[in-house]
Amino acid sequence: MTANNTSNISFTVNGEKFNNVNVPSRQHLADYLRSQGLTGTHLGCEQGACGACTIEMDGKAVRSCLVLASQANGSDLKTVEGFDDQMMEQVKQSFLKHNAFQCGFCSPGMLMTTKEILLSKKKLTRDEIRSEISGNYCRCTGYQSIVDAIEECINEIN
Amino acid sequence: MKAADFSYHEATNIQDAINIKAKDEEAVILAGGQSLLPALNMRLSSPSCLIDISKISGLDDIKIDGDYLFIGALATHSHVMKNELVLKRMPCLIDILKMVAHPAIRNKGTHGGSIAYGDPAAELPALAVATNAEIIVSGQNGDRSIHAKDFYLGLFETAINQDEIVIGIKYPLLKQEQAILFEEVCRRHGDYAMAGLIANVNKIGNKVNDLSLVYFATGDKPDSADKTAKLYLENGYDYSNLKNSLNSEIDFAGDLNSSSEMKLHLATILIKKVLNKLEA
Repeated sequence: MTANNTSNISFTVNGEKFNNVNVPSRQHLADYLRSQGLTGTHLGCEQGACGACTIEMDGKAVRSCLVLASQANGSDLKTVEGFDDQMMEQVKQSFLKHNAFQCGFCSPGMLMTTKEILLSKKKLTRDEIRSEISGNYCRCTGYQSIVDAIEECINEIN
Repeated sequence: MKAADFSYHEATNIQDAINIKAKDEEAVILAGGQSLLPALNMRLSSPSCLIDISKISGLDDIKIDGDYLFIGALATHSHVMKNELVLKRMPCLIDILKMVAHPAIRNKGTHGGSIAYGDPAAELPALAVATNAEIIVSGQNGDRSIHAKDFYLGLFETAINQDEIVIGIKYPLLKQEQAILFEEVCRRHGDYAMAGLIANVNKIGNKVNDLSLVYFATGDKPDSADKTAKLYLENGYDYSNLKNSLNSEIDFAGDLNSSSEMKLHLATILIKKVLNKLEA
């Protein structure tokens, strides 16, 4: 990406330090991450509607297409590539078991949203799960299997 | 879907941000960016510079300030929704914020950002007008307070001067006999409304004795419907009367999802839907 304006930033992604990297000021975070080979973060709409690019920024789920790379200066980021802890392994197994992945395009965002649901420790009903994942589009599963997987995670993990 | 080129400045304090904004009339403030960045990605606007105020500390306070509930400009929607003071003193705000986009967007989107951006389809500008809120801005000549009803001038156009930045919003504390009622119609949860209504009601028991109606997603800014509110108080709910009154009072602007006729219909039935909540 060519640009006249650039920013010099430092941040951490999945525990790895990125120091003094130069990014075009107009580049959003998802594009930057993907340019670094972290292509698990998917880009659908680039206007915050689809949720495929959802990542974790300083402990909170955010849309990486609606955050500039420059804004990540000083932040601690986690992408789907970094979901290797015990809880997220269990979540992935549950998604597999319930066939909640299918084409996989929405999965990184769905997993991120699931993580935030589990960390909130709330015992959600199926309707509430649907409301929580309303910001993540899935065009294959019809959501049923994803809700099944998240419901199982809530019951088994929390 | 990539933004045009702009420079980026991470402001260290309010004065720093004010100084840059005062000098460059094409610079815009970046708070949470959840409405601004989509607009930039779609190239609906192309500012020269983004002044990022999100890392300035002390702008996300939520506190009681005299007869007002003060919400700092940088309080995120998620933060406001979890706040004990908001839950106790202005619970309607939590119900309203549940309708603002989705959790990941509410984690980043800010209260002041939504107020200052002035999207006519957004809930918070209409809430500010309906509750007679005060919008506090800071500029080269210090701070000043603007009545919400004088703040919204037109499509994305506000009374903020070139050198000014919104630093907080003051909502009058609700009185015992007062209720803020809210309803919107949208295609899917989290979408912008096709039409929405916030009613500020004064009641004795379940009887309404004073009422103001402010619509969003109907025109180019929050639309107050004072004549229609008066008509309701005098004659109760009569679909055709209220519809005629709204049609004369508000310039309904259709969009991709709903024509102006449909918005007029929705605006009319929203009066009934909202006031039915008083009996619930």
